Amino acid sequence: MTISIATSNGVCHVNVTGEMTIYHAAEIKAELLPCLELGAELEINLSEVSEMDTAGFQLLLLTKRAALAANKSMRLVAHSPATLEVLDLLNMASYFGDPVMMPRTVH
Amino acid sequence: MSNTEFDQALQTFFMESRELLEAMEESLLGLESSPDDDDAINAIFRAAHTIKGSGGLFGLDGIVSFTHVVENVLDRVRGGHVQVNGELIALLLSCRDHIGMLVEQIAADPAARPDKELESVGNMLLEQLKSYQTGVTHPVCSTAPASSCTEILPQTGNTVESDMWHISLRFGQDVLRNGMDPLAFIRYLDNMGKIVHILTLPDAMPFSLEMDPESCYLGFEIDFQGDGVDKAAIEEVFEFVREDCSIRILPPHSRIEEYTQLINELPENNIALGELLVNCGSLTRKELEQALHLQETLRSGSRAEETSKLGNILVEQGVVQPELIDAALGKQKTAKENKSQESKLIRIQADKLDQLINLVGEMVIAGAATSLIALRTQDAALHEATSTLSRLVEEIRDSALQLRMVQIGETFSRFNRVVRDVSREIGKDIGLNILGAETELDKSVVEKIGDPLMHLVRNSMDHGIETAEIRLQRGKPAKGTLRLNAYHESGSIVVEVGDDGGGLNRARIFAKALEKGLVTANQVLSDQEVYGLIFEAGFSTAEAVTNLSGRGVGMDVVRRNIEALRGTVQIDSIEGAGTTVKIRLPLTLAIIDGFLMGVGSSSYVVPLDMVMECIELNEAERQETRDSHYINLRGTILPFIRLRDQFRERGKPARCENIVVVQYAGLRAGLVVDELMGEFQTVIKPLGKLFANLKGIGGSTILGSGEVALILDVPTLIQRAIALESRVLNC
Amino acid sequence: MAKTIMVVDDSASLRQVVGIALRGAGYDVIEGCDGRDALAKLTGQKVHLVISDVNMPNMDGITFVKNLKQLPAYKFTPVIMLTTESQEGKKQEGQAAGAKAWVVKPFQPAQMLAAVAKLVMP
Repeated sequence: MTISIATSNGVCHVNVTGEMTIYHAAEIKAELLPCLELGAELEINLSEVSEMDTAGFQLLLLTKRAALAANKSMRLVAHSPATLEVLDLLNMASYFGDPVMMPRTVH
Repeated sequence: MSNTEFDQALQTFFMESRELLEAMEESLLGLESSPDDDDAINAIFRAAHTIKGSGGLFGLDGIVSFTHVVENVLDRVRGGHVQVNGELIALLLSCRDHIGMLVEQIAADPAARPDKELESVGNMLLEQLKSYQTGVTHPVCSTAPASSCTEILPQTGNTVESDMWHISLRFGQDVLRNGMDPLAFIRYLDNMGKIVHILTLPDAMPFSLEMDPESCYLGFEIDFQGDGVDKAAIEEVFEFVREDCSIRILPPHSRIEEYTQLINELPENNIALGELLVNCGSLTRKELEQALHLQETLRSGSRAEETSKLGNILVEQGVVQPELIDAALGKQKTAKENKSQESKLIRIQADKLDQLINLVGEMVIAGAATSLIALRTQDAALHEATSTLSRLVEEIRDSALQLRMVQIGETFSRFNRVVRDVSREIGKDIGLNILGAETELDKSVVEKIGDPLMHLVRNSMDHGIETAEIRLQRGKPAKGTLRLNAYHESGSIVVEVGDDGGGLNRARIFAKALEKGLVTANQVLSDQEVYGLIFEAGFSTAEAVTNLSGRGVGMDVVRRNIEALRGTVQIDSIEGAGTTVKIRLPLTLAIIDGFLMGVGSSSYVVPLDMVMECIELNEAERQETRDSHYINLRGTILPFIRLRDQFRERGKPARCENIVVVQYAGLRAGLVVDELMGEFQTVIKPLGKLFANLKGIGGSTILGSGEVALILDVPTLIQRAIALESRVLNC
Repeated sequence: MAKTIMVVDDSASLRQVVGIALRGAGYDVIEGCDGRDALAKLTGQKVHLVISDVNMPNMDGITFVKNLKQLPAYKFTPVIMLTTESQEGKKQEGQAAGAKAWVVKPFQPAQMLAAVAKLVMP
């Protein structure tokens, strides 16, 4: 798992590659949360995430909550199939409010 | 699962069961001398355990149900609740045999119905096992979801409209660390039916710093629809997190009171929760109002405080389990390392191996032809290339043959049981001593050696070893000893069956043989020749020849079996001290390093291992030995045979002759040939039935030129040379 | 990508049948014939689930799981313990060591697949 961080025009771009699982949860948390300080907006690119478990999902949730509390905007973009499957299964795509494809019908 | 795959796995099961049963037997026998050997007890338990477990996987219920009871008793032995004694060992040995019979029955015919006789033996054994069992044995059942299933009462009045199950999940903090992923369970649930709605509740998650990324903080409210799914089935989805997750399940059309209770029990804020339930479709708004009202009524009662504290209990449920320090880390035993070699082994079918050996044999012949042609062309480069090829072929041959080599130990250790059982049967105390168990020989030889060995062992026990009284009179220990030994000796393997019994009585054997017309009165025979008479077909010993009585029964069969393997038998015996039967067998039955010799226009091969030296006969010696059958070789007499005479080779005598000195079983003789043609890789082709009675020939092989060469039966020729020499000397 | 499952049991036929069932369901399977062999084969590659027998020569299942949980690459890997109904104590011991899931021997391949699917979908 690797995380790359780049800031441009007040937007912090984070790219997570590999597994977002409990094995890397501590690492991800340590890298991800401070990113909120790096700009007014945080954009997390999930296109390279190969696997996500509950621990990984919780960290997205945690970051989102921290962003809301700090009155900052946070977006998830380019969801990989593995991440999309989790957001969809837990019906959480709308919580993050990002435009994602939703193959599953939810009423 | 395809049928062939399954069949292959089933074959593995049979093979594995046989191995386990063998190990079980070995350990059971070991327990007789050391009943407290934990390793042995564990090995016995494991054998039963594994056979039961794997048998169940194949649906072999007969094996499972019987082995289950045996395993149960063994577990009690392991736990120290049942004492090991001779009686129990005997019973367990019988049980082991019975399991073996059950396995073999299915191996012979997978569709076989249970055999009545076998069944009654099984029942008898089960009856005997009863006294060692626990009071209650759980019956073996494949599925037993023994979860508490709340009955769905016929609903009247205040039920909710929703026709869905409602499932509330609050996972404990440790689930992730325990390797359990809530997502996986939810996926499974979704596969079982349909998650109509799900709400993910992160309320329990602390903010940033206190949040432990390896802890789980999530809860879920799920509306679930599943055809034919009952509460037990839903509970079973979460069975692995039962202790790590609080689960509440409300069946479809539950009563409003039950939702009230649910809302009360959940840790989140009540009003918010109610809204959630309405949102996810479990409750209508009206139903929620009813529920909240009901809650108010309850709260005025005394249970209010208790119920509101449920959330706290949940947190408490998440306390960190004490970490286990691995004290047993270095505890594994290294003693039985060889048993873990399994993973480094590949099982292959014997016929595949045979085919490989056959192909290698053909390659050796084809290679020889190529070399020959290359030699004729006198092309140096081609010659060099073919000689490299020959060397590689030789290496392939050796490696291929090596593949078929197995240790004789497995065959030997089977006799532990035989010796134990027979000694009980005949009332003698006899121990077995195994030596050279690691000696390797060709698998095809090993398979055929079992029967002759069994014969010899039984004979030694029946007739070789004396009764305890006689032994004590003779000043020997009361306990007799049988010895199995194996070792390599010049290209052969020697297998010995020895006893410390009374030995053979030369005079009586000779008298007996005389009576049967096997020898003549004035025949001069060495001790070994006399002893060898007991292997003669006509040597019946129905009448008592003291401790030899009965020894002749089937002994001719033993010799025939061994000779069929191109082996020989020899007996050493010291009267009063014991007898040792030595079986000499070729290491392999397929390809040997041979030594090629020419006589006239024919070629002959002897195994290179048996060739001691080659001597050229000069003209003087040729004259001298024309009519004799021995020469003086550096001061000792060497009997010899002229192959030209032996095989009636026509044509003019060659200009020079050579003696090839061969040795077998400690005896030497010379073979007089014309030409020495050197080493030759020999692929042994058996002779047809037509040549079965041809003395002195053991097989044939094909030369590079396509011609046939005969492989000489050295032991027979040596005997013949010695016989000729003594006849001459006696004249 | 297929999920990888390690099957540890001293019975070759059990490994074979479970392997056939798991591969048929879309998992990758690696095998170990006892605890020690399994540890030797776990060299840091991703393993999503371990299925282990309790009674094995050289290193039993409980010791194996305790060792497994010490390895950083596998400390969170779920473990299914194969127990027998006569060994309730072993199940507890296994759970304490970190094997939180179990399947009772003898079992049918379908039962094993169900238990596996609860922990890891193919």
